[in-house]
Amino acid sequence: MERKNVWSLNFSTISLALIPVSVGINYVGKLFAATLKLPLWLDSIGTILAAMLAGPWIGAISGLINNVIYGITMDAVSAIYGITSAAIGITVGWLAYKGWLKNWWRTVGLGIIVALVSTIVSTPINIKFWGGQTGNIWGDALFATLMAKKASLFLASFLDELLVDLPDKIAVVLIAYIIHQTLPNRLTVLFSNNKTETL
Amino acid sequence: MKSISLYVDLDSPLHRLDPLTKISYTLVFMLIPFLIPLKSITLICLGLTLSLLWLGRVIKHIVPIISFSLFLLFTIFLIQGLFHPANEKVAFSILGLTFYQEGLEYALGLSLRFINLLCCTSIIILATKPSDLIQSLVRRGLSPRFGYVMSSVLQIIPQMSNTTQVILDAQKSRGMETEGNLFVRAKAYIPLLAPLVMSSLVSANDRSLALEVRAFNAQRKRTFLSEEKVTFTALIFRFLIFFSFISSIVWRLKQ
Repeated sequence: MERKNVWSLNFSTISLALIPVSVGINYVGKLFAATLKLPLWLDSIGTILAAMLAGPWIGAISGLINNVIYGITMDAVSAIYGITSAAIGITVGWLAYKGWLKNWWRTVGLGIIVALVSTIVSTPINIKFWGGQTGNIWGDALFATLMAKKASLFLASFLDELLVDLPDKIAVVLIAYIIHQTLPNRLTVLFSNNKTETL
Repeated sequence: MKSISLYVDLDSPLHRLDPLTKISYTLVFMLIPFLIPLKSITLICLGLTLSLLWLGRVIKHIVPIISFSLFLLFTIFLIQGLFHPANEKVAFSILGLTFYQEGLEYALGLSLRFINLLCCTSIIILATKPSDLIQSLVRRGLSPRFGYVMSSVLQIIPQMSNTTQVILDAQKSRGMETEGNLFVRAKAYIPLLAPLVMSSLVSANDRSLALEVRAFNAQRKRTFLSEEKVTFTALIFRFLIFFSFISSIVWRLKQ
């Protein structure tokens, strides 16, 4: 088996089969968080896991398809945020390859980076569509407070989104990391397109 | 198997329209209020879309979709009315809070655009079968491999939701606590998700083997079991949609 580049667009069948599975994991992650009444969304674990296993492109496509399918079946608003999910997939896939999953501290760092990327990509969408708000109570309360103090629209909207995204994305990256660590090698090597198993 | 989609299975002129026409309508008429930011134009788009939904006999299904976002719209009015940067003219004052005209008008424009967006996308969500939509895209050049990926999402999600109940019960019977303070509940999360992830990754492997056995990667041109009827009315409709789109762009460029 030859070594392929992480950025290769030549997707193996199993990497493609991973995409719907990761959308399913996103969905169930959100379902479990709601069942356990946890205060975070935890709805991007599948995307991040797909990026860790199969690289940035599969991660990005998983995120995009996740949002597009939600968009055409349930909630149109999700479709627009497909870009954010794709950005998260690319970020995790690339940085995972670069070795950002070596230890706990780097993983938390990756979580913070993902939160920043997610916020930066979502903020223009939030501004264009709903004047900067996000629909989350705490975030919008912060937004209102900052707007009352005549802060810039971009900053207020950015912090609104970041307040919600930072804990959520750090948690999601950590959970995906823990689950990834518990997966046996014989399973992870199937999806990877740049690692080879040697005896 | 119960699907996750909100699709309403009826027979109506709207349902019989082919998916590509509906998708072009949705995209164009969602975009027009952004290209031409006048409330009058947004109201026209909204009215047109609502009549289509009425024609499709799905208009009553839009009520839960819109009412879901009413609270967000209310907060937008609140926040923009009070704190919009261009606020100058006072509209009214209650409980010591002053609401300004510019903010309220901005919020109104935003809300109308948003409701228009919800209605346009409902033409897809309520009146287009997701599998028909995906097949329509594959017919026109989307790689069948990606067509598979999108179709299987629709099937996988109900399957995985069913497995969640099994895993929940299994872990509870092994002494996992799911009620209590936040820490107790948080500890239960990974024991619930990890088995699911493992089993679904194994199933991904099985799926890929099944796909390869069925010539998933074959490069030959594929044929379709069902036919897609594109009526003359649909073609006229598409022309009108295209015309509206071009007119909006021209209007925008002239600004």
